[in-house]
Amino acid sequence: MEIRQSKQPNFFLKKRVRLSIMIGLLGVLYVGAAVILNFNSAAFLYLDRGMIWLFQNFIPTSQSITYWYSITQALLRTFVVAVAATSVAGVLALVLAILGAKSTGPSRTLSWVIRGFASIMRNIPIVGWAMLLLFSFKQNDFTGFLALLFLSVGFLTRAFMETIEDVDVEKIQALQVTGASYLQVISQAVLPEITTPLISWLLYMIENNIRDATLVGLLTGTGIGFVFDLYFKSLRYGPAGLVVLAIIILVIAVELVSNYVERRIAA
Amino acid sequence: MLEINKLSKTYDGGKRSLTDVSLTAKEGEVTAIIGPSGAGKTTLLRSINQLIVDDSGEILFDGQDIRKLNHRQLKKTRSKIGMIFQNYNLIESLTTIENVLHGSLARKSTLAGVLSLYSKDEKQEALQLIDEVGLADFAFKYCSDLSGGQKQRVGIARSLMQHPKMMLCDEPIASLDPRSTTMVMEILRRLADEKHMMILINLHQVDIAKEYADHIIGLNNGRIVFDGATATATDRDIENIYVSDAPVAVG
Amino acid sequence: MISKPEKQLGVVPASRPVMPKLNLSFRLKDKRRRTIYGVIMLLMVTTLATVPTIIPKGVNLVAATQGLIDNIRIMFLHPAVSNTSFGSLVGALVQSIALAFLTTLIGAIFAFFIALMASRNLAPRWLIDIVQSAMAFVRAIPTILWVLIYSVALGLGANAAVIGLTFHSVAYLVKVYADSIDELPKDTLAALRAMGVGFWPLVSQVILPTVMPSFLSWTFIRFEINFANAVAVGAAAGAGGIGYQLFMASGFYFDFHEVGMIVYLILAFTIPLEIISYKLRTRYIKRAGK
Repeated sequence: MEIRQSKQPNFFLKKRVRLSIMIGLLGVLYVGAAVILNFNSAAFLYLDRGMIWLFQNFIPTSQSITYWYSITQALLRTFVVAVAATSVAGVLALVLAILGAKSTGPSRTLSWVIRGFASIMRNIPIVGWAMLLLFSFKQNDFTGFLALLFLSVGFLTRAFMETIEDVDVEKIQALQVTGASYLQVISQAVLPEITTPLISWLLYMIENNIRDATLVGLLTGTGIGFVFDLYFKSLRYGPAGLVVLAIIILVIAVELVSNYVERRIAA
Repeated sequence: MLEINKLSKTYDGGKRSLTDVSLTAKEGEVTAIIGPSGAGKTTLLRSINQLIVDDSGEILFDGQDIRKLNHRQLKKTRSKIGMIFQNYNLIESLTTIENVLHGSLARKSTLAGVLSLYSKDEKQEALQLIDEVGLADFAFKYCSDLSGGQKQRVGIARSLMQHPKMMLCDEPIASLDPRSTTMVMEILRRLADEKHMMILINLHQVDIAKEYADHIIGLNNGRIVFDGATATATDRDIENIYVSDAPVAVG
Repeated sequence: MISKPEKQLGVVPASRPVMPKLNLSFRLKDKRRRTIYGVIMLLMVTTLATVPTIIPKGVNLVAATQGLIDNIRIMFLHPAVSNTSFGSLVGALVQSIALAFLTTLIGAIFAFFIALMASRNLAPRWLIDIVQSAMAFVRAIPTILWVLIYSVALGLGANAAVIGLTFHSVAYLVKVYADSIDELPKDTLAALRAMGVGFWPLVSQVILPTVMPSFLSWTFIRFEINFANAVAVGAAAGAGGIGYQLFMASGFYFDFHEVGMIVYLILAFTIPLEIISYKLRTRYIKRAGK
């Protein structure tokens, strides 16, 4: 049987060349980035060191265990501040998202304004927020609260807006044609449709904010981040290790709870 | 030559799927397995290459009991058995020729397989097979852009690339339109006639079975209720395969 | 993962034409609603109990807010460079981008191989459990702490920053990569295995081409996160880059004109990134991208 001439005789060659160019490019970028940073790739040979450090300091000694109570107090404080910041941000973000989403917002202009606002809020680095707020509100929990709040508002507004825009427009119109008012449509059609993703975004944000709170604390001298910094800088690694352990326990507990909640609310 | 003796399978949860199934299939013949849904057709076919592990019995292929092979031997035997599926199971993000070349992977070294290093002969063979199933113009098209009938023909070409002695076809035409059905069945018939291959097909269309198969096996509720040459099978025989439809035992 | 609600509202079966009894607590009858109300209540109580305790006593809130607004105005309306040069700020930005790129690339390579051990389609249950638990552990430790931990072993600087950030990237990417691999149809993999295709050819010929688009989208999202982390680490661990410049301008020189310039530089990089990431996400990842 005669084989018809294929139209792409170099198909495999082209594919291989494309792939090689891609890999080569990534390699060049890797080397370039490593040079810029003065990063030594051999550092990965020392991966075990950090792990050993961690596990050594996880084991409480009779000396470090005396810090456990004050560590858990500071962590609990950080936790509730993170929850409060996320919740307040959630309420603000919901209002902004309803006004800003294409399907529920009053005007296109407002939609773009809110979109831009959310984008700027979440793209200003948390360091920027923390330092800016520290300057005005000084060293206290309120500064950390506001920093997390601002970042979360930006992030959640964006997420909620996308969630609302995923709701089938016809479902909204179906209620509109019955003569329902704007607020009625929002509360009876939009909100019930988005509750599940809304809650899972909130829980995700809380998890994230506990971790970010550590960073904010380091920068603004508050909460668990400050406690870690204090022990770490004074070379008290035992208690510093305990701080890490306490954070791990809290974050994993929150993750388990939020997985449980998500399973229960998934329709 | 394939010989199955007293094959049985019970699923977890106690649902009995196959009971003492025995049959013989020959090279150069198309054997159709027909029967109502849930009769155990798919379980039977997938037991042959041990995609589904059965409980007891004997599957003699090339004189070896497939059920007794170790991992390495099973892999080798499986590479000699082609299989096509109702839902094609192609990699849709690759082109036709790449999917067809997958049929040669079992013969290649791991490294050559990972890096897609196919020889010129292999590429040539793949193109020829693609031409044989009538898809020469689609050799370098992505499979996601093909129609159902075209995808099934890519599936056939892929299994032919394995150089199989036997083809297992699991409801190959269930999702196809009449024109594609004819095309696919004719290709399978030709493989039996010209390449002397052993073809086993699960079907639920009786008319297709009568038209293309040499041999019909009726399966109902996990038991063989008919086994005979197509030429000798009367309409009454065929009807009985379905009439004896007893409720499927559950639990 | 995020599925649509409102599927379990009590519908009376047609065979039982009895009017359901209406009472006020019908909203609390099903598990899903009880959970939702429970979570909302809990968040509300925690917030209401916490907020009053964090209002600082020694700070005049009105004056502080006024100051904040003034500083924001200075930042956005009068950006300027005074303590350093514009060129060195751009250089610092490039450093942070390099850090984000490096940690994303290394993280993606590690994560790919680990994800093969964490997917239901490829690995046995016990291995998945071990790998996923290890990853949950790594994720639980904040990035900045990973960097500081490694700075004990490797000294403060780029090496510790790269390794610290890579840790978190790996843990994050393993989870999303494994989820993507899980979405591959089991039947297709079984079909290829039945043809005698070995594990590594299966990975390169079947898994990679199929999951590539979603892998790329997730990796890009991680690049965005890693850039934010690179900025943060630069500030909090003194690892250099634009984050360090930001920290110096705001915490050392108290120069909000310069903070404004730095923020504009960062936004000039992250906002296009966000737009590309959004496009990729809506195109290749069906569910909401976290």
